[in-house]
Amino acid sequence: MSSVLLLNLAWQISTLALVALGLAIVFGKLRIMNMAHGEFVMIGAYAPVITSMLGLPGWLQLPVCLATVGFVAFVLERTIIRHLYGRMFDSLLATWGIAILLREIVELVFGRGYQSVSPPLTGTFSVLGADYPAYRIAVIIGIVLGFIGLYLWNTRSKVATQIKAMVGNPELAEAIGIDTARLSAGAFVFGCCTAGVAGLILAPTVRIEPMMGLDYLIRSFFALVVGGLGSLEGLGIGAGIIAGTQTFLGAVASQTYGYLAVLTLSILFLWLKPNGVRSSSH
Amino acid sequence: MAYQIGLYLIYGIAAQGIGFLWGKTGVLPLGQSLFFGIAAYVTAITLKVDGNLFLNLVLAAMVLALIAGVAFVLATLVFRGRNESGPYFSLITLALVMIAEQVAGTATSLTGGFNGMSGFNSLGDLDPFGNFYYVIVAATVAVSLLLFILNRLPINLIAKAVLDNEPRMQLLGFPTHMIKGAAFAFSAMIAAMAGGLFASHQGIVTPTSTGFALSAEMVILTAVGGRFHVLGPLIGAVIVGWASAELRGSFPYWELLMALVFILVVLKAPGGIAELLEAAFRRVWPKTPTPLTPSVVAPPTRSGTRPAPLRFEDVQLKIGVVRILNGVSFETPATGIVSVIGPNGAGKTSALNTITGNLNVTGGRIMLGEVRIDSRPPHNALGNGIGRKLQVPSVFFSLSVSENLAIAMMAGRLRMADLFRTTPLQWRSRSLSRVLNNPSVPLKNELTDPVQHLPQGHRQFLEYAMTVAAEPSVLLLDEPCAGLSPDETALMTELVRVYQIETAGLVIIIEHDMSIVEAISDKVLVLHLGQVLAFDDYKKIRDNPDVQAVYAGGTK
Repeated sequence: MSSVLLLNLAWQISTLALVALGLAIVFGKLRIMNMAHGEFVMIGAYAPVITSMLGLPGWLQLPVCLATVGFVAFVLERTIIRHLYGRMFDSLLATWGIAILLREIVELVFGRGYQSVSPPLTGTFSVLGADYPAYRIAVIIGIVLGFIGLYLWNTRSKVATQIKAMVGNPELAEAIGIDTARLSAGAFVFGCCTAGVAGLILAPTVRIEPMMGLDYLIRSFFALVVGGLGSLEGLGIGAGIIAGTQTFLGAVASQTYGYLAVLTLSILFLWLKPNGVRSSSH
Repeated sequence: MAYQIGLYLIYGIAAQGIGFLWGKTGVLPLGQSLFFGIAAYVTAITLKVDGNLFLNLVLAAMVLALIAGVAFVLATLVFRGRNESGPYFSLITLALVMIAEQVAGTATSLTGGFNGMSGFNSLGDLDPFGNFYYVIVAATVAVSLLLFILNRLPINLIAKAVLDNEPRMQLLGFPTHMIKGAAFAFSAMIAAMAGGLFASHQGIVTPTSTGFALSAEMVILTAVGGRFHVLGPLIGAVIVGWASAELRGSFPYWELLMALVFILVVLKAPGGIAELLEAAFRRVWPKTPTPLTPSVVAPPTRSGTRPAPLRFEDVQLKIGVVRILNGVSFETPATGIVSVIGPNGAGKTSALNTITGNLNVTGGRIMLGEVRIDSRPPHNALGNGIGRKLQVPSVFFSLSVSENLAIAMMAGRLRMADLFRTTPLQWRSRSLSRVLNNPSVPLKNELTDPVQHLPQGHRQFLEYAMTVAAEPSVLLLDEPCAGLSPDETALMTELVRVYQIETAGLVIIIEHDMSIVEAISDKVLVLHLGQVLAFDDYKKIRDNPDVQAVYAGGTK
């Protein structure tokens, strides 16, 4: 295996883990099957386009991304999502409608055509004897550090404990003074914002267009199916298996085969191991 | 104009298939254009190669059968071992359609790539702008008629019951994953038929015919038109199609409007246009209550096996790190009433769950006579002669009392051919009639009431009646007297006793009330901390110092 393939694997796995993180929070914790998850990735990817359209300096891309995605997520949570807690199937339908809505709005504003942006870091970096884009290496390191931070936060912070309490028993959590409405809204917006950041990170490496989100939704969902809901390790393992399979087969065969393999894998998991590799709640 | 309407009707037919699957069983297919598109491509290829009508029709039938088979296997695999539909299946269908679109766009030699396939005549060389329209109308009428007929058959009630309460259906012996698989296969076939018509009608097939956008559109047509009514999806397809043709050009926010309408329908009017129309119609023409049809004597049940002792052999049950059953061993007599008692958390309900297969044991085995019964899916329990009433009454809340009883009467009795006759809906066995005719049992006067309006006690009796309808030789009852008044409790214990004498079978009953335990038990099983503390007749149990220690608050 060449070192470029290895680095590509690391890139695909880490970015998929970041994309899937938000879905894991919203689906795993809030039981909202967010079919519009990919659209938040898409909006995040448009953040650099918005920034340059407004004539703002490049370092404002992240704030612009968080503001846009956070605002959209907050408005949707207050108007639609909050009626759907505990109604998983309706949440799937309504967010499916939201996904179409967001795609259409973005298409109206930016048009159907592809957009592209350039990475903030250019140049290459020599790792394991291969020249690899410095931007990607920075992103991989950043995501790994981010997940370590999240893991520590998840095991120690009070908010994480409150979320666990809410997931375990919403009524009891409310009875002991946890504001579940605010907590759910916060978790939803946070989940969508991680998707937006993932979109921002991916923006320089992909074609930005209104339909780009679907692919991310499906792959993150499969990562959760394989890895199991409820733990960060499961998320990592799931992202590893899905992105690994797809990247590897995509390199040696074709993208279509990679896709087929991932789908087959997910069906096998649903059939034989319905709770994924790691299903224990952490 | 007829040409455009023909196209809307084709989409409407496919949407009717979605409506059947989604409205009845609750399974939402997000990739229906997979079947639509495959059939369209196959039609295009065949028509290009050979225009012989007979040959084409034979081939079409074969393709439909193949598609149905593949759809059935896929859905059955995914639904196996689950008792809900969840989002998993929908997402898999979505992924399938995305792959299909990719393949259709890249396999140029087979599909013509992005430009698609064209240059073939329509089926039977009819004019797509003229006579072929009548073929489409005929197909629409045929599919609608078929769906209306299905509405009157047991299949309809079974599908609704699956949507309402899948675990209960499994305990009544219905393989719900196969029922959902069959419904999916049926809807796939309808979509494929529409796809074949589409290719013939349009004269060109491109990757969008098997694409994600078309799938999404079909779901929207179904939802907006109304998924619970046979004609709803057709209405949706024609109205949305016509409005879209009128407005799309002049009104740039058309797609946006459709998305908003869809969200509104999901949140506020799940029945769509069809339900609004029906409500308006009913205001003018109120529905006359359907009289109860006279009952027909049911065929004999197949779940009454020969009485046999139930034997636990060192049964272990571990969930995560929690050990729930810790080496449980006992053997009941082949006939009689066994009460299971024990403090909360002793593992009583879990023990029943291992018998029905709702939980798989992690060690040891459970034998009924010579048959090993542990760790098999719950829908096979009734086949072993095991019926079960759950702790919290589990009935079909959206159905009426008589519909609940009709489902229960089919349990253990229905054969494949009965699915296509209406008489199973009127089945009534003698023993069920006896229960219902007992003047103290409340159900007889509320047969047409929806179950959700029934008080708790009546639900207990309903679930009991449903559980014994199949006349299982092993009856598991989980606190059947919970929430009952003293009179009702006396009635329930009497019913259980009579049932045991009539069938000479085995009844296992979890009960906390010691006076009931004393009154009905031939034997008493005491569970404590996942182990058998004692297993004897009532007197000996009462005098057992270990049991006294546990019940007097001592620790053991």
